[in-house]
Amino acid sequence: MSDRAGITRRGLFRGIGTAGLIAGCKPGERPPTTTEEHGDAAGPGHGEAAFGPGPAPVSFTLNGEARTLEVAPHVTLLAALREQLRFTGTKVVCDRGACGACTVLIDGVARNSCMTLAHDVAGATVATVEGLASGGKLSVLQQAFIRHDALQCGFCTSGMLMSCQGLLERSRGQQLAREDVEAAIAGNLCRCGTYPNVVAAVLDAAKGSA
Amino acid sequence: MPDDRKVTLRVGFADQLRDIEVQLPAGEPKPWDARSELQVIGKPHPRVEAPLKVSGAAKYTHDIVPTNALWAAVLRSPHPCAVVEAIDVEPARAQPGVSAALALVKPGERVIFAGQDVAAVAAKTPEQAEAALRAIAVTYKPEPFVVDTAAAMQDGAPQVHRGKVQERSTEGDEPGAGGSAGQRGNVRTTPSMKKGDAHKGLRMAKVSHEATYTTQVHTHSALETHSIVVQWDGPKQATVWCSTQGIFSVRDEFAEVFELKPADVRVHTDFLGGGFGAKFGASAPGSRMGFIAGELARKAGAPVRLLLDRKEEHLCTGNRPDSRQRVKLGAGADGKLTAIHVQAHGTAGIGTGAGVGRNAFGIYSRCPNILVESHDVFTHGGPATAMRAPGHPQGAFALELALDELAAKLKLDPLDLRLQHDEHPVRRHQFELGRKQFGWDAGRKQAAALRTRQTRVRRGFGVAASIWGDFGRGKAVVATVSVARDGSVEVKNGLQDIGGGITTVVAQVVAEVLQRPVEAVRVRLGDSELGPSVGSGGSVTTASVTPAVRAAAEAVKTQLTALAAKQLGRKPEELTWSEGQVRAGTKAIAWAELCKKIEGEAVVATGTRPDTYGAYPVKFMGGSSYQIAGVQFAEVRVDTWTGVVAVERVLAIHDCGKVMNPLTARSQVQGGVILGTSYALTEQRIMDRVRGVMLNPNLESYKIAGVRDVPREIDVVFTPVDTGANNTGAIGIGEPSTIPTAAAIACAVHDALGVAVRDLPLTPDRVLAALGAVPTRGAS
Repeated sequence: MSDRAGITRRGLFRGIGTAGLIAGCKPGERPPTTTEEHGDAAGPGHGEAAFGPGPAPVSFTLNGEARTLEVAPHVTLLAALREQLRFTGTKVVCDRGACGACTVLIDGVARNSCMTLAHDVAGATVATVEGLASGGKLSVLQQAFIRHDALQCGFCTSGMLMSCQGLLERSRGQQLAREDVEAAIAGNLCRCGTYPNVVAAVLDAAKGSA
Repeated sequence: MPDDRKVTLRVGFADQLRDIEVQLPAGEPKPWDARSELQVIGKPHPRVEAPLKVSGAAKYTHDIVPTNALWAAVLRSPHPCAVVEAIDVEPARAQPGVSAALALVKPGERVIFAGQDVAAVAAKTPEQAEAALRAIAVTYKPEPFVVDTAAAMQDGAPQVHRGKVQERSTEGDEPGAGGSAGQRGNVRTTPSMKKGDAHKGLRMAKVSHEATYTTQVHTHSALETHSIVVQWDGPKQATVWCSTQGIFSVRDEFAEVFELKPADVRVHTDFLGGGFGAKFGASAPGSRMGFIAGELARKAGAPVRLLLDRKEEHLCTGNRPDSRQRVKLGAGADGKLTAIHVQAHGTAGIGTGAGVGRNAFGIYSRCPNILVESHDVFTHGGPATAMRAPGHPQGAFALELALDELAAKLKLDPLDLRLQHDEHPVRRHQFELGRKQFGWDAGRKQAAALRTRQTRVRRGFGVAASIWGDFGRGKAVVATVSVARDGSVEVKNGLQDIGGGITTVVAQVVAEVLQRPVEAVRVRLGDSELGPSVGSGGSVTTASVTPAVRAAAEAVKTQLTALAAKQLGRKPEELTWSEGQVRAGTKAIAWAELCKKIEGEAVVATGTRPDTYGAYPVKFMGGSSYQIAGVQFAEVRVDTWTGVVAVERVLAIHDCGKVMNPLTARSQVQGGVILGTSYALTEQRIMDRVRGVMLNPNLESYKIAGVRDVPREIDVVFTPVDTGANNTGAIGIGEPSTIPTAAAIACAVHDALGVAVRDLPLTPDRVLAALGAVPTRGAS
């Protein structure tokens, strides 16, 4: 899979749908519309092993540690993290890509883990909220969240932190504006109303870590 | 124990302070008042539990997985109204991974909203549970239904209920609200609020205003959905984890449903992902979650997790009712109000509670004639339940916007009109303060100039008020404080922290009394075995819990003082406490040394809170408690080409008695403003009138405000008030802070445009319609 980070749950579902369609056709009857879907379809005949519907192994790096899981092809990264690995810091809120609560970093990019299949992260580096602190010490960003009271009930906090962490990693050393933070968390919903404090915390952390 | 005693307290606010005498019950510490010099209380302190929340270590109910736990799923009615002719759950039992299945309706029973419980299963995985639901065979006979409030009021509309309706109220409801004064068809009348003769007052008026204002159904949309995990520890004993605002309401309901002793039900809520009024009891307002999870766990012989999904959360866990309010105002030529008359109808779906609060009746109380009539209109929709200041935001919106429209007719400044009629000295102070701090006079002039010039982009300034009561509860909380021989300090109570910051405030109170660092106080909450407590609803938590905590800490301090006196060979009254030691003249004993002298393991004391004993300066209507004051100013920017409203600034001036922790209190007010902004601009439940179902039960088309939708600037100002209500002086802030926001924004839009948009949310099409740029669409 060359462009792993670009594959979404929706994209892969589309791909699976195509693969199903292909399987239902006689050889030589492949519909012409499938050619553009090749990149997404991990089906047989494309140099990759078929797997499913049962669990199949997938390996990736989680918070710096190598992991191999047996997971069925339909299982999202979110479900695998929470239910299989018991990394419950990442939260389920809408489970369809609308709220950002399940945001994790995949190869450094903030993504909704509910819209990513576990098998999509094969070989990738995944970072969750549990990996932000190092050696028992909270990161500059985590400390800024606490200082600025950027959390109330805390249920959006993991996703907020990961979106902001992605921004800090990309912009390291550069001046951040309020609009940059707003863009980074535009997909993260908070019901308690912490947004202004999140923005203040990230701007503060950016100064501290620049 | 000493007898009841009288103490003199310095109470009031700003420059209006005075001494009052208060009778204190036996054993009650002297309340902190305006003379108290406090070291920790009133100072900002970061949340003590925050490290757990920023590292993903905080465990919410969603995260609890007992060994061998099963997943539950609930089959819900697809019909808004239907008779169940047949139901067979047996095929579900045969599905892979399924351990138990349960019918929740019997043949012949009627379901009355789309989303109602029909059947439930427990299986090894969520996918298996969902698949098993599809195997359940239900035959429905659909019946006529009505989901539109106006249609439900008409003669001949399908009847939602066929008997008298049982009112359901929770700790989230405002005390004294509700009740029934009769029912006809789908319309149930609640007792009206009345003073003078509003009809006569309207007849006497020289200038009057009459219009209809509507508000939408608003769902709580807490990020953590309603969830419960049940584990039976024996035939008559259970452990329950629940995402709840009221641990003891869960315990008591679960015990009642399964005929257990409450003490044999242990409830845990270490953390919860928001509630906003919808999370009381073991069940959701529209789903018997406690019974379902408990019964499936019993049948399956394994723990069961029942976590609702986002769609279910919208359909069956409560909402803020809509409203259609006919407002009539009358005034003399001098601008003095002669009458306020509000006739309100709203739907709480199949439930009750569509009243519009106390705003119209309680705030502008110099008006001699007021009549507020509220009606619940039953529709085939999920039941409403208390939502952050039930009734008030909708009531504030209609009344405050109507006042602005009247002020325009009277050619009066709307702020002056309010000041003329509000008797609350704190709110009057806040109005005046805001006038200066917000730049009201200059802003209104600027807005008028843009209106005159007919510019594309307009600015507008609005103001609105809030009313709430200090409903802090006496005798409800038992807190325990202990100091161990190793010097460690612990405080325990079976309270839940909904996110308001009470964990930190509890630590601060103990730290203040025992003069220990806040970090040195271990706070244990979230477990029913840690002592009775209140639900987090009605803005009662801080006012109910902190006095009990202080009483317990003071009792421990008395014991430690006696111990120190013995060690130093002095009388207890000769001793003074300062950080780290207890001193008598030149002799002192350090904290660590003192604690080592404790006989046994620890000094332990419990504390309770007596009933509220003071109420200065203004009583909440119909009660003896203090009336909480607040005002909010809003500045908006309206694009008259696109109809888009953006909120530039909000100034929120509030009173919550003695502010315990300005950092967390400020966050809570900011959150109230943001919730109110979201209500004002974007949120709206949309029902399909043809099919009777909700069309947007998700978070992409049910729009809650994101970071770019909230006010560009939110300033929070507290008016410290010493009320003498309880020993810490704390009163609530959660509800008052969201009451006036939407009203202030709507008033600001009126100022910007010169015409009112009388329907919430203030969507672009409505703004354009008010300007005459597009045809008016009927309010839904």
